[in-house]
Amino acid sequence: MSTAKAPVSERAFGWLDERFGVQKLVDWARHKEVPIGGHSMVWYYLGGTTLFFFTVQIVSGVLLLMYYQAGEATSYESIRYITTKVPFGWLVRSIHCWSAHLMIVSLVVHMFSTLLLKAYRKPRELTWVTGFGLFGLALGFGFSGYLLPWNELAFFATSVGTDSVKGVPLVGQWLLEVMRGGPDVTINTLYRFFALHVVILPVLTVGVVGVHLAFIQVQGMAKGMAHQKHDRPGLRFFPDFLVRDLLLWLCCLIVLAVLVYNLPYGPGVPGVEWELGKKANPLAPAYPGIKPEWYFLWIYQLLKEFPPHLFGMEGPQAALLVVTALMGTWALIPFLDRRARGGQPSPMFTDLAMAALIFLSYLTLQAWDIGGHRTLTAEPDPRAVAWACGLITLGIGSCITLLRALAYRSRWFILSFAALLQVVLNGLVHVDYLVAGAIALAVAVVGVKLLGRRLETGGAS
Amino acid sequence: MANDVTLKRRTLLNSLLGVGVLGWLSSLLYPVLRYLRPLSDTTAGPLKLTPAEVEAVEKNKLVIARSGNRKVIVFGVNGELRALDAKCTHEGCTVQFVPGDSVVLCACHNGKYDVDGRVLSGPPPRPLTKWVATREGGSITLTREPT
Repeated sequence: MSTAKAPVSERAFGWLDERFGVQKLVDWARHKEVPIGGHSMVWYYLGGTTLFFFTVQIVSGVLLLMYYQAGEATSYESIRYITTKVPFGWLVRSIHCWSAHLMIVSLVVHMFSTLLLKAYRKPRELTWVTGFGLFGLALGFGFSGYLLPWNELAFFATSVGTDSVKGVPLVGQWLLEVMRGGPDVTINTLYRFFALHVVILPVLTVGVVGVHLAFIQVQGMAKGMAHQKHDRPGLRFFPDFLVRDLLLWLCCLIVLAVLVYNLPYGPGVPGVEWELGKKANPLAPAYPGIKPEWYFLWIYQLLKEFPPHLFGMEGPQAALLVVTALMGTWALIPFLDRRARGGQPSPMFTDLAMAALIFLSYLTLQAWDIGGHRTLTAEPDPRAVAWACGLITLGIGSCITLLRALAYRSRWFILSFAALLQVVLNGLVHVDYLVAGAIALAVAVVGVKLLGRRLETGGAS
Repeated sequence: MANDVTLKRRTLLNSLLGVGVLGWLSSLLYPVLRYLRPLSDTTAGPLKLTPAEVEAVEKNKLVIARSGNRKVIVFGVNGELRALDAKCTHEGCTVQFVPGDSVVLCACHNGKYDVDGRVLSGPPPRPLTKWVATREGGSITLTREPT
């Protein structure tokens, strides 16, 4: 009588374990947990959904590479060939474009949820910094990929976007020429952006994602502020959390499929559309209504708001300085938030997130010319646009503030109040945008100095 | 005492090694950085319009001509030819001439210049450089005005 043989899967596992010690990996996976309590579990899934969309980007990008040919006479033509002749070519391109936008949405929500939950607090400062790096890389993907179809919209959006770097002190001109492959946007720019988009950025992203995930594996996911000292057992990562993760990925895939099928060229909103349009002609003048992708619209609008000269600098140079300062501050939040570092509630940084949302929303809505009427020859009335966008931002901002006060018992509103003040002054009273910003900044500084500490010790996180 | 000497010697050797490594890295990096910056445009001096561009000027009173890295907009105002740098001084978009308003418009951020390239409104920080258009027989030559 022979003893029953073990199933093939077990034997295969044993074979692998004997050689590579995979049992250790399984034991580690069994002990990995996701914290429960303090806040909704949903925020823990957003990194995963971002990774999912990034994977879709890689797969659809590789498929596009099978037909795409970079070149003055081929870039536009090959994209047109993909979308009109290649079986399901339109589908692959649409998946690539839609998932790019959804990836940025997922990433932005992930970043804001991390900020609101203070998940960046000690010892996870570098996880935030690497995450911010990934956000920068994602923007780089969007910017470099925009030019590849070599159409009119891409050409001018890239001209504006790259021109901003000339304002960088000392190395601006060098950087501009390195990015463009010359002083102007030409086909050489496309070659460089193509290399950036399909080789340099993917390699960098895989590396930084690896470091970001390694930090999370070593330190575990952050517990909610209110539950950080509780020793409650968490949800098992494998298989409980992973199965939920996969289910959400499936939902994301369904959403992607619905969007791709119903709106293959985007919803038609400026900054979220990818109709091929006309081929780029470097000698054609720019036409009205050219917008970058939606996540760059706030910078686009900021460039419009700056005067030709400010404090001895040219307008675009000053705008670039402001954007750099804001981004730099954002990257350093874990090091600036001393209260969260000490494990205490830090309502000021919750309010900072709200103020940032108000600031970005107002500029983005204005860039969309909401409330104005654009014709082929005339720009919409900036006052009408500012009025409508001011009202919308004020309405939504006030509702969120009320919700925070009533539902979350928050009492710290200095920064969001300052951001709303700028919106009111510029949008409804028509004070110059930068003057309104300076007044709001002064109010914020005085408010933080006078009331900040008192509110911080008495407010919720 | 002997330890101090060893320490100083080690510090010196480490410093020399550091300088050596920096030098080695620079020698690797410099060619890459130099390679990335393209050669500068060697075309200079007057820009002669091609017959097709001359025809476009005669027919439409408007053309954007290019030679090397230079892009010039040529347009007619009251029977006179005007020529300006076609790159907006704000963010480098290509400008257009709006005959009805006699303005040169950059549609990217709504910058407006007059027919002599002076800023009328919007964010452009500098005027557009003027060029002088000279007709000689059937050809048109553009010469950059000294700034």
